[in-house]
Amino acid sequence: MSRRKKKHSEGGVELNLAAMLDMAFQLLAFFIMTFKPAPIEGQINLKLPPPQPVAGAANAKKAGDDESNNDPVKNLNSLIISIFATSNGRVATLAVGEANIAGTTALDGRLKQVLGPESGASFDQVILQVGSKLKYDELMKVVDVCTKQTLANGEKLTKLSFVELPDGAQP
Amino acid sequence: MSGSKSESEADLTPMLDMVFQLITFFMLVTSFKAASLDLSLRLPVVGSARPVETEGEESLLILNVNKEGQLMVYSLPQEIGPYLKAEAKMARLEAKRKSSSFKDTDDLPTTVVVRADRDTPFSLLNLVIKNCQDNGFRKFALKATDKAGS
Repeated sequence: MSRRKKKHSEGGVELNLAAMLDMAFQLLAFFIMTFKPAPIEGQINLKLPPPQPVAGAANAKKAGDDESNNDPVKNLNSLIISIFATSNGRVATLAVGEANIAGTTALDGRLKQVLGPESGASFDQVILQVGSKLKYDELMKVVDVCTKQTLANGEKLTKLSFVELPDGAQP
Repeated sequence: MSGSKSESEADLTPMLDMVFQLITFFMLVTSFKAASLDLSLRLPVVGSARPVETEGEESLLILNVNKEGQLMVYSLPQEIGPYLKAEAKMARLEAKRKSSSFKDTDDLPTTVVVRADRDTPFSLLNLVIKNCQDNGFRKFALKATDKAGS
């Protein structure tokens, strides 16, 4: 009894922490090595309409019924922006409908007129006709301008669709 | 007995406490999602691109497209058609599991995150986007950075 009491007062059970520390260091090393902070990236959210005509449903027509209709979004109120590319992937010409536009700043102004609340138009989506060689970087500049626009109904423009212009298409 | 005790023995407890704190920190901040991003791509530069808060429940399909138009998944090139078909099938199954009213023809709830190199020509990118649309994906997010350096 007295022996037991003595042992207790000496500090009780003592764990060997060295092994646990070793393991903890291993875990720490693993997490430090696999630690790679994810880059902060921005994004532009889009709703790309289906390739079939969605508004055509009112006429009880099925997709592909009309062979001559190769416009994928015919009955939506779509605005067409054409971007022609140079051979090295830059923007050659930019056009809204038929009218040529000088650059992305001018495009912003023009789209505000055409799409904006005071225009009275009922466009709800934009079709981008893009030259096949155009680089993604240049395309994003135009997409960026488009997604900044507010439509006549007060919503942000997020419906875009892409159509590829044949190689070597000229304005 | 006392001789062996007199050898100086460091108290490891505070060190262990600290190591566990560090482990906890690194466990919490490590995200294995970053592994699916191809960091060698140079994203396009768009001044107004801002990080968007995506809610946790939203499912994402990340597509890395390099400038040759190849689809890179965990740094291995994949065939675009079969890969997207398989992903669409998975997304459809998951959507069905979540809500029984989901039909095969409905638009998929998955957002396709397109991370394409800034030099990718449109024709190659359009192949990927078209393929996604054919498989029922409708929601897209185009990734960009806001600084030229990265």
